Amino acid sequence: MSEFGRILVVEDDPRDVELTLTALGEYKLANEVVVARDGKEALDYLYRREQFALRPEESPAVILLDLKLPKVNGLEVLQQIRSDDRLKMIPVVVLTSSHEERDKLASYKLGLNAYVVKPVDFHEFINAVKELGMFWAVINQPPPGSAKKVL
Amino acid sequence: MAYWDSEFQRVRSPILGYGFAVVSVVVATVAVLAIQEYQFRDVELPLLVLVIGMVTWYAGNGPALLCVLLSTAVFGYLFVEPIYSFYVSAREVPYFLIFVLSAVIVASFSAVRRRIEDNLRHARDRLQDELEQRQQRDTEIRKLNQELTARAAELATANKELESFAYSVSHDLRAPLRHLVGYSELLQKHAANLLDEKSQRYVQTILESAKRMGNLIDDLLAFSRIGRTETRTTAVDLQQLVADVAAEIGAQAKGQDISWNIGALPVCYGDRALLRLVLVNLLSNAVKFSGTRDLAKVEIGSVDGHGDKSEIFVRDNGVGFDMRYVDKLFGVFQRLHRADEFEGTGIGLATVQRIVHRHGGTVRAEGTIDRGATFYFSLPKAKQPVERTVSVP
Repeated sequence: MSEFGRILVVEDDPRDVELTLTALGEYKLANEVVVARDGKEALDYLYRREQFALRPEESPAVILLDLKLPKVNGLEVLQQIRSDDRLKMIPVVVLTSSHEERDKLASYKLGLNAYVVKPVDFHEFINAVKELGMFWAVINQPPPGSAKKVL
Repeated sequence: MAYWDSEFQRVRSPILGYGFAVVSVVVATVAVLAIQEYQFRDVELPLLVLVIGMVTWYAGNGPALLCVLLSTAVFGYLFVEPIYSFYVSAREVPYFLIFVLSAVIVASFSAVRRRIEDNLRHARDRLQDELEQRQQRDTEIRKLNQELTARAAELATANKELESFAYSVSHDLRAPLRHLVGYSELLQKHAANLLDEKSQRYVQTILESAKRMGNLIDDLLAFSRIGRTETRTTAVDLQQLVADVAAEIGAQAKGQDISWNIGALPVCYGDRALLRLVLVNLLSNAVKFSGTRDLAKVEIGSVDGHGDKSEIFVRDNGVGFDMRYVDKLFGVFQRLHRADEFEGTGIGLATVQRIVHRHGGTVRAEGTIDRGATFYFSLPKAKQPVERTVSVP
């Protein structure tokens, strides 16, 4: 018997969403994934506002966060999460196209848990996302109060 | 200054100068005659001498000479016995001579004095000119400085734009590529049974092209990052670095026999990570372009005697190149070989050149078709002997 946590994917590009879900689907993790299409939606989800007002109370086990997002960008989302006592424990993994040093620096300074550059190669991408999902949603013990589902 | 100037009002025109001499002598003579009418005696000598001094002062040497001659004549004619004759009686000779002597002395003193004052005035004028020129130069310098500041600001803006451009490329250009690759692979997987051999080859080509473009973008970004990141300069032991890089490349080149010949290499000043990149590019090129040989021979050494710089060379026994195209060798995306002969994006040597230039060095290359190539780069030497890290074999 194993259990796994809910994954919040914050990604604006529908194609990346599809590829990410495909990758997570390989471990049958996809049906516990919530997708937010921009930074504002991600914060709405975390604060249970608007269309997420009725979502279950538990926090996601991990947030896969793109950096370049409409409205509120990834770094701003991360900053908000880390400055809120109720959210600051949630593991956050940046999943981005950016190789830039300043992005890595800024993210880690804000208290990021992991930084993953989306590989161009499809197999590498699938593997990276799969491993990420596996590690954070299954292997890693999330902070108490995270959403978990017993398989 | 105004007072000084008015003191030196001079008669400039020669006609006026000579006229002034004549008029002065006439006026003085009339005055002396008038004074004599009232029984005052012996005023002619001082008055005429005074006139000579004045004329010399205001009108210069020519009019002064005329004035001396005229007043001597007037003196001899009117004031020395016998009167109304230029003849001078024996009794009056001393008096006449005293007049002539006084006239000449006053005139010459006055002339000397005038010359000195003139020189002073010229010196002052020159100083003033110089001062004006200097002020003008100062203004120009200030203007140039302002332009320079403006140019620096422009440059900073351009740099910033370039950076944000590279940043956008890094973020935005990669995403569609990833999708291209991803969906092509998905298509390959889903339609494996439906696609005939030809169609599968098409999909495969799309995939390979997209991957290649991904590599190009990555290389280009890495290349642009060289110019943007700050360098951290330390003393770098090239001997150790070359050994490390050679070992790494040797490990990657499986199935290829490589004989490394590493000579004595100096300690240079530079950014270790960037210098490593230079060596990785040059050494992997040497191995790559010797791939057709049974045994790839790569020689690394240094040439001394370039002042404060060391020149390092990397020589191989590979396919070489045509010296006619040597200028193109270090250009971005320039390749001298077809893609199916040797793979690569054509950015390696451009990267090498850029890094070496950033270190204040130069690059050059020599080659012969089918006889190998040699690449040289120079780097600033470490000034003090640096203790080398000894690697235990």
